[in-house]
Amino acid sequence: MKIRAIGLVAAPLVLLAGCSAPAPVATDSPVSVVRFENCGIPVTFTTPPERVVTIKSTSTEMMLALGLGDRIVGTAFQDGPVPDEWAAEAEGLPEISDFMPSEEAVLDLEPDLVYAGWESAFAADAAGERDELAGFGVATYVQPAACRSAQVPGKLDFAEIFREIGEAASIFRVDAAPLIADQQAALDAIVPDDRGLTALWYSSGTDTPYVGAGIGAPELVLETVGLTNIAGDIDQTWSSLGWESIVDADPDVIVLIDADWNTAQSKIDLLESNPATARLSAVQHDAYLILPFAAGEAGVRTVSAAASLADQLKELDLG
Amino acid sequence: MTRPGLAVAGVTVRAGSVTLVDDAGFTAPAGALTALLGPNGAGKSTLLRAVAGVERPAAGTVEFEGEDLLALPRRERARRLALVEQEAGTELPLTVRSVVGLGRTPHESVLGGRDPDAVAAIEDAMQTAGVAGFAAREFTTLSGGERQRVMLARVLAQQPRILLLDEPTNHLDVAAQLEVLGLLGSLSAAGTTVVAALHDLTLAAAHADTVVVMAHGRVVANGPTAKTLTPKLVREVYGVDARWIDNPLTGKPMLAVARAVIE
Amino acid sequence: MRRAGSRSTRPALIGAGLVIALLGSIAVAVTIGAADLAVGDVIGSVLSHLGIGTSPLDTLRDGIVWELRLPRILTAAAVGAGLALAGAVMQAITRNQLADPYLLGLSSGASLGAVSVLLLGVALLLPVAAFAGALAALVLTLGLASALGRITPTRTVLAGVAVSSLAGAITSFVIFWTVTGDSYRQILGWLLGSLSGARWEAVAIAGGALLVVGVPLALSGRILDAFAFGDTTAASLGVPVQGARWALLAATALLTGAMVSVSGAIGFVGLVLPHAVRLLVGPGHRALLPLSALVGAVFLVWADTLARTLFDPRELPVGIVTALIGAPVFALLLARRRSEA
Repeated sequence: MKIRAIGLVAAPLVLLAGCSAPAPVATDSPVSVVRFENCGIPVTFTTPPERVVTIKSTSTEMMLALGLGDRIVGTAFQDGPVPDEWAAEAEGLPEISDFMPSEEAVLDLEPDLVYAGWESAFAADAAGERDELAGFGVATYVQPAACRSAQVPGKLDFAEIFREIGEAASIFRVDAAPLIADQQAALDAIVPDDRGLTALWYSSGTDTPYVGAGIGAPELVLETVGLTNIAGDIDQTWSSLGWESIVDADPDVIVLIDADWNTAQSKIDLLESNPATARLSAVQHDAYLILPFAAGEAGVRTVSAAASLADQLKELDLG
Repeated sequence: MTRPGLAVAGVTVRAGSVTLVDDAGFTAPAGALTALLGPNGAGKSTLLRAVAGVERPAAGTVEFEGEDLLALPRRERARRLALVEQEAGTELPLTVRSVVGLGRTPHESVLGGRDPDAVAAIEDAMQTAGVAGFAAREFTTLSGGERQRVMLARVLAQQPRILLLDEPTNHLDVAAQLEVLGLLGSLSAAGTTVVAALHDLTLAAAHADTVVVMAHGRVVANGPTAKTLTPKLVREVYGVDARWIDNPLTGKPMLAVARAVIE
Repeated sequence: MRRAGSRSTRPALIGAGLVIALLGSIAVAVTIGAADLAVGDVIGSVLSHLGIGTSPLDTLRDGIVWELRLPRILTAAAVGAGLALAGAVMQAITRNQLADPYLLGLSSGASLGAVSVLLLGVALLLPVAAFAGALAALVLTLGLASALGRITPTRTVLAGVAVSSLAGAITSFVIFWTVTGDSYRQILGWLLGSLSGARWEAVAIAGGALLVVGVPLALSGRILDAFAFGDTTAASLGVPVQGARWALLAATALLTGAMVSVSGAIGFVGLVLPHAVRLLVGPGHRALLPLSALVGAVFLVWADTLARTLFDPRELPVGIVTALIGAPVFALLLARRRSEA
């Protein structure tokens, strides 16, 4: 674990992992035009956005973490409940749609920024194409870890996650340092498991599982807690993986992603009912680690996801 | 005393509220060629199909050698009676031999292969019909006349006692027409009961032993050709003038026809 | 052109060759897979389950062979045979060389059933829902065809197109309405046709259907041949035209429904393989039906083996492989027919 010196680490309080974020600190300066490229598209923010529509949980939670919840005018396609510390704040947030919103519904809220956790949100049949929204005076921003068309990230590490937090914060002219410091501290506090265990990150799929692969958030989390990903050599963020390969690798531990549309329990039932997978050592020992879907994508919950897994691992007695 | 043969009685065929054939009956003697005559729309095809059992008539019986053919199971009936319908064609690349082989269908069991009797029947049929020379050619590449002969070979392979044909000389040139009718004549002479629907009056009159004349779905006359096909009947049914003369080429009786003189 | 004497023996020889090829294919395919298992160990494992000796593999790897690979391969053989057979029969019944087993709304109905379970959470087993969907679509198709008057092959095909479109539209709607990024992958695998979920239950369903429905169907070549010149000629040859057609249709639908319920709508097997077999043995159905089934079995065993090993450790839905192979082969067949005509 690296100890990073990120500028002014000015937090005087000892913050435990996942505590509430500090109040926003405006860092105004005379030259406050923020300019950079986002998924290959140049974006410019002359003033901090005040009316934000968030799509997918990662963007909503990023804003809540930075204490910007009051600027959210609408959310869409959320992946599950927000962590407890923001639950109260999140309750008041208006939900546009359970799935991708239409461009009209988005524009109806008169946002000045649409902040999406998936790049596919900016399609004509979803929230609208980025240049078209720009024509309406609406800025657009994609979580950089999710860029697919350009500036596709390489292997994800926490440096990138913290960079993205900083980039998001800069858009709103708030100070990311306290949040990053909290996250770093929480990260430092994680003791990786030393038993040299292998793991499967099982997201969905019955006939052919969809699993966390080698270069995305799943890989980062597994590495952080000291687990070796059996799909780690696949050069993708997530990938489909045949049962035969999984059974052949016989992972010691299975991370189960829990979502409303595909629960962890249903995956356990499937594993146990299938004669081929019932003999997996992880199934025989009930060696399951559970993670909510939203925590599995790269964002402000990645550190706490790793911490949660580390805690669950400690409880696991594999005989 | 009439020779045994096909005795059709009281056949009525309806389609919805329209009656296509009304209480039709006739006898076709065994070992004779019977021509089924009548203008277009008289009901010839329908009657043939009803007799063949291909379409269920609303009423009627078809007796042959003491059996009611319509009451028989299909396969049994198909072993006694074969039908060559008009304009039957296929797009499948079947060889002549395969087409002729279809005639054996009523004689075959589900699992059985071709027995030697069947092979002999097929070869004989092809010889008789004069198609053995191109047995391996594809049916779709044949001329109209050749195809008609293959269809005849098919029903011959079926080895029926009764042969029904619907307009077998359609679309054939004159030489082929005479050939087909000559073949039918020799088949009937060999004992098969042959009934052929024909539209060409002169051709029918020259070759058929017996005629059945239909008009508007009813049978209006049935009997030996020369006696039944009187000029008066022809005028009534067909609206043309006719006279029996001797064919100068063959010496046999021939029906000459001409447009009716308007009185 | 074909010679007279060899006609009846040639299909028999080809059939015997295909049976050997099928057994050989199954034996070889079970040794191939993402997990690196020695051929001898695999054989030993299979034999141990048949009662001969003990397995040289540990329980897990033994499970790979006996619970994952073998049932999948056997299902592939059964499904391939069933679909090719159904396709050949369907082409004969509808007198349409472009017919496939799914023509009467069967695959669209099955897809709708599958989507109901996978996306709407209807509490049925997937194969049951898929089968029910297929049958419902068939009933609708036949009902529509008869409502237009006397049922003819053309009417039936048209009604099938209408029902397929309707079922397809509803399926698309359900997918669009409910799907999230992840679940789309699952339904896509089913829509493209996949054998990765085939376990011993699937073998029972597909194999059972093949035995109970497929075998009688494969022996119905004589009747199908009689239809070559149309209904009247068939009737005059002693074939119960309406009854035979209904029976054949029902059998084809049952067979296809059972196959689709375990593997989704695998394309091109029912469409292309009968044509390929026709090139070998001619259009006579007595030989065409059983040989199509055998060719279908061998083909799908290998297509599925490719699907699960080409991009090891990832798997392709087998429907993609059959389409990739089937489409160019079909184009070739068409080109050959045109040049012969």
